[in-house]
Amino acid sequence: MAGLELLSDQGYRVDGRRAGELRKIQARMGVFAQADGSAYIEQGNTKALAVVYGPHEIRGSRSRALPDRALVNCQYSSATFSTAERKRRPHGDRKSCELGLQLRQTFEAAILTQLHPRSQIDIYVQVLQADGGTYAACVNAATLAVLDAGIPMRDFVCACSAGFVDGTALTDLSHVEEASGSPQLALALLPASGQIALLEMDARLHEDHLEQVLEAAAQAARGVHTLLDRVVRQHVREASILLGD
Amino acid sequence: MVPDSSVFDYFEILEMPELKGVIWLQTVTDALHSKRGWRYYNKLRSLLKDPSHECVLFANEYHVSCYHAREKQTLKKDWEKRIIYAAALWYYKHCGEKIPIIIVADEDSTKRYKVKSKGVYVMTFKEYLNKFYSDLEAAHNSCDFIDEALYEEKLESLEASGINYNKYLPPDILEAGLKSGRYVEGILYVNKHTKMEAFVRVQDTDQSEEDYEILIDGINPRNRALHGDRVAVKMFPESLWKRRMGADHEGYSEYVPTGHVVGITQKHKRDYIVTFPSKEDILYYSRKTKKYLAVPWDYRIPRIRISRKQAEKYQFCRAIIHIDSWDTDSRYPDGHVVGTLGTGGDLEGEMKSLLMEHDISERPFSEAQMGELPVNTAEKPWSVDHEEQDRKDLRKTHLVFTIDPKGCEDVDDALSVRTLSSGNLELGVHIADVTYFVKPKSHLDKEARARATTYYLPDRRYDMLPSVLSSNLCSLLRGVDRYAMSVIWELDMTTYEIKKVWYGRSIIHSTYQLSYEAAQELLDGNLSITGNIEEFQDMEEKEKEDRLQELTWAIEKLADIASHFRAQRGLDGALDLDGIEISVLLDEEKNILDLVPRQQRRIHRMVAECMILANHWVARKIYESFPRQALLRRHPPPRQNLFSELKQSAKAGGFHIDTSSNRALALSLDNAYDVSDPMVNKLLRNMATLAMSNALYFSTGSCREREFHHYGLGLDKYTHFTSPIRRYADIIVHRLLMAAIAEDKTKTELNLLSDRCLEELCDHINERHRAAKLCQRQATELFQCHFFRDKDADRDERCVADGIIYAFRDTAVQLYIPRYGIKGTANLKTKDGCVLHFGANGEKIGWVPGALWRSHKQADCVTSSGQGVTFRIFEHVTVKISVQAQQYHPNSLRLEILSKKPYLDPEARHTPKSSPSPTRELVEENSKENIPEEYRQFQQTKGESLYTLLEEMKNLAIQDISNNL
Repeated sequence: MAGLELLSDQGYRVDGRRAGELRKIQARMGVFAQADGSAYIEQGNTKALAVVYGPHEIRGSRSRALPDRALVNCQYSSATFSTAERKRRPHGDRKSCELGLQLRQTFEAAILTQLHPRSQIDIYVQVLQADGGTYAACVNAATLAVLDAGIPMRDFVCACSAGFVDGTALTDLSHVEEASGSPQLALALLPASGQIALLEMDARLHEDHLEQVLEAAAQAARGVHTLLDRVVRQHVREASILLGD
Repeated sequence: MVPDSSVFDYFEILEMPELKGVIWLQTVTDALHSKRGWRYYNKLRSLLKDPSHECVLFANEYHVSCYHAREKQTLKKDWEKRIIYAAALWYYKHCGEKIPIIIVADEDSTKRYKVKSKGVYVMTFKEYLNKFYSDLEAAHNSCDFIDEALYEEKLESLEASGINYNKYLPPDILEAGLKSGRYVEGILYVNKHTKMEAFVRVQDTDQSEEDYEILIDGINPRNRALHGDRVAVKMFPESLWKRRMGADHEGYSEYVPTGHVVGITQKHKRDYIVTFPSKEDILYYSRKTKKYLAVPWDYRIPRIRISRKQAEKYQFCRAIIHIDSWDTDSRYPDGHVVGTLGTGGDLEGEMKSLLMEHDISERPFSEAQMGELPVNTAEKPWSVDHEEQDRKDLRKTHLVFTIDPKGCEDVDDALSVRTLSSGNLELGVHIADVTYFVKPKSHLDKEARARATTYYLPDRRYDMLPSVLSSNLCSLLRGVDRYAMSVIWELDMTTYEIKKVWYGRSIIHSTYQLSYEAAQELLDGNLSITGNIEEFQDMEEKEKEDRLQELTWAIEKLADIASHFRAQRGLDGALDLDGIEISVLLDEEKNILDLVPRQQRRIHRMVAECMILANHWVARKIYESFPRQALLRRHPPPRQNLFSELKQSAKAGGFHIDTSSNRALALSLDNAYDVSDPMVNKLLRNMATLAMSNALYFSTGSCREREFHHYGLGLDKYTHFTSPIRRYADIIVHRLLMAAIAEDKTKTELNLLSDRCLEELCDHINERHRAAKLCQRQATELFQCHFFRDKDADRDERCVADGIIYAFRDTAVQLYIPRYGIKGTANLKTKDGCVLHFGANGEKIGWVPGALWRSHKQADCVTSSGQGVTFRIFEHVTVKISVQAQQYHPNSLRLEILSKKPYLDPEARHTPKSSPSPTRELVEENSKENIPEEYRQFQQTKGESLYTLLEEMKNLAIQDISNNL
């Protein structure tokens, strides 16, 4: 790994963060009028939009309807201009499909689907700029959007990525850090209960270190939760002022 | 200590265990990382980890108060410097403002950030070592070594890369561009004072607009063009226009257009004089290319690369070099040696360089040219041909005499005046008839045309015509018959109104050959001078008296007429302008005795006025006859912005100068007279002269009539007619005049030049005249330098003189020294920020750190201890003159202000001193032996103090009366 020092002797990362620091998170809810719920989030340079429709009747073949709970339909796409190298098509490739599936799993775990049997909830997520941690950004955006749509959930779903460099766990990896090839882990957490909605890692990491990385990711996810909570409260306050007069 | 990114070169010294307490900034380590790679970076890391070094790394870019965003278009280097400085400042405050922080940086940033705030010091590595680790031998050694290696590397990189010029455009594109106006064409002039700046003077194609200049700023935009080349320039958009360098804030601050050279349309073909540096001088030597760099004599020419073989042969020589080529990737042009001029430094060699530099021919005349001369030997003397029928014979009828400087050999003008039977006066100006001997298209004619003028240097002369003609057959000597071209006016006896003019060839016989001094004495009525005039020596007393009376009457009458015409010209706006001229007194062995400013007397003006009159009338005649192909001389009005310095100086002195027209200028110059100091007026006049543009020869076909005007003389038409022996233009005018008065036009007009040819000829003559003028000036400067070179500036009284301040520069004053006629600058502030410091009695004590304020009126030197001194405009100071020796260029004079008081004469100062110290006596005795006899005499007669006293009394008297009135 010549050429880049991910973590300096003084404990700084390439972009000047400490190991456990998050990037700056800014979010807005209710960005689209025609959707039931929508949200926009920025995590550092990663930017994502989420739109939620439903719960509504099942569209398409009725056979897909589930008798006891709602169907969560997730679609992930990322804009052609979102990465350094221009993508050929925004969705439908394997990676998008996989991310869509992961999102679906995450939200099936979080949304109280049994309240809306035989209906469908659509979550569409689009990444506008990808600078590492796209999955986490998507989950966070989707959470806000679902909240905006007023769909009951067990809890916020807060996601964050974590990596492992030189015996230290780094949280909220940027693109540079992701590309370095070090082990990387994505965690979606229900912060109140501490339950894990999704945990995904696709590199080898010694078992001894897993605990440490997991703890760092969970800590970061809780950090994300407080931030998102603040966003939701701000949004509700604004909305109530608008409704109030 | 905070190192800058430039200290990586000294990294091995920093690794020494003795150096402690280094704060490494993140900015610096990042730069190290990106520039030097991992190996150095890892070294640094281990350095930081080693606790014995006591080093820390400060991540300054992540610190909120140390980070500055890099603005657009700032270089990374500048940004780094800024951020490092900010971090150092923060650190200083962080440590409770108790521990000083030192930034170690390279030289230019040291200059920039020096003394910006307290507690943070910027110095170079060398300085740092000297200050804190002066006993660390090893560090010093390696520092020196590294410095040297760095310097060499820098030179090599300068030589090899760094410079990459653009290719010139192909000729067809260039021509198309010039025609369409995309590019403009003009001649490139390099600024004499700063090599980086050059101008292209563009003559606008439609004549309605004035010429303008384009600034070529820097070496790259100049694109390998040399001084004097005719170049095509592409102008930059207006947003890139710049102010002129050196233009001060109050002066003309307008932006001038800038551009870059895209092609050279005509090379200025000439050879250059260079000096080769010594072998030890590695500065100019590049290992890669095996070439030496030679330094041209002219400051404006870049150094020239010469192959090593040749360079070693000509070490220390002044050599003539021809420039061969200049590649786009080479910083300097390539050249080769074509001849040598001997080693630099001696007078003869320097003179030769001067001649070469101005392309002045010192070849003798060839045999073919000499063969065309009439025979004039002792056995067979030349005499006038009495068969010449069409010449008017003035030998018997007219009293003709000549007035010239002492020892003048080429007498080309004679005067006559007499009363006609009708009572009217007849004034005659007779000019040597050179065209009789120099036939058009002969070899002599061609040679004369090439030389164009006679070159007068302080100790010698290069003739335009062979000496047989110039000092004998053409020269209007006393007591022999000579051919002449005459202009004779009939004047009304009282009003001096011109009634009739006659032009034509004549035979004259000059009776008296007077010197200016003798004529002036006669004019003043001092008849005792006659003893010195040869003509009167072997004459009877009675006859002598008659003749003398006749001559005196003639001179007085002439002076009267001349002043009348002068007054008339004055109404038309003629200016009275004198340049400062110096004559050099030489003894037989060509040693320089003294320098004296040339004096203008009434008799000079009288002769000049008669010549102006003749020139004017001839100009009228030839223009009348040949309106499209006459050679005239014009003097364009000066550009107003050139007057700004004159105006400012005059204003500061309390005068107002109106430059709106030549008449107004002449009037206001007359009014600007300070009774207590006559030099002021002289200086102002001199400054006005400097602002003038040059008078030019031109062909009437190439110019519109309203542009014929001669600004300085206030005449509508003017030409040169009166000195055919030493000016080629006059020969042409003579031929034109002959053609104009000839009855049979067809024969003579064949010899005339067409408008086009004449214009080309004019350009050539103008160019040669300029060269002659420049050469003369530089030769005079050379003599000045030689005069002062052998003198010990600290002891010799002659090196101390009175100077007058006439203008202020940024860090200096402009001085004029009337005693020697020298103008120059004297520093008030040195480059390292020291100013002149004077004691209570006005004597200079030395240089001390301080500041300098200046305005147009005065300059204040204030030392850091608070003592100040003020220089006002037109103030007299005492100046020391010394010579600044230069190896590659001509020597120059250096002026130094010694005292704020006016300089008193040595005699006046020494008298109160009763007993001079014995050492001083010894010195005086020694110096006396070296000084030639004549000089000592001269020094004794230098009793200036009494004269000035009388002058002052006289002025006081004038003042009193005017006050009473």
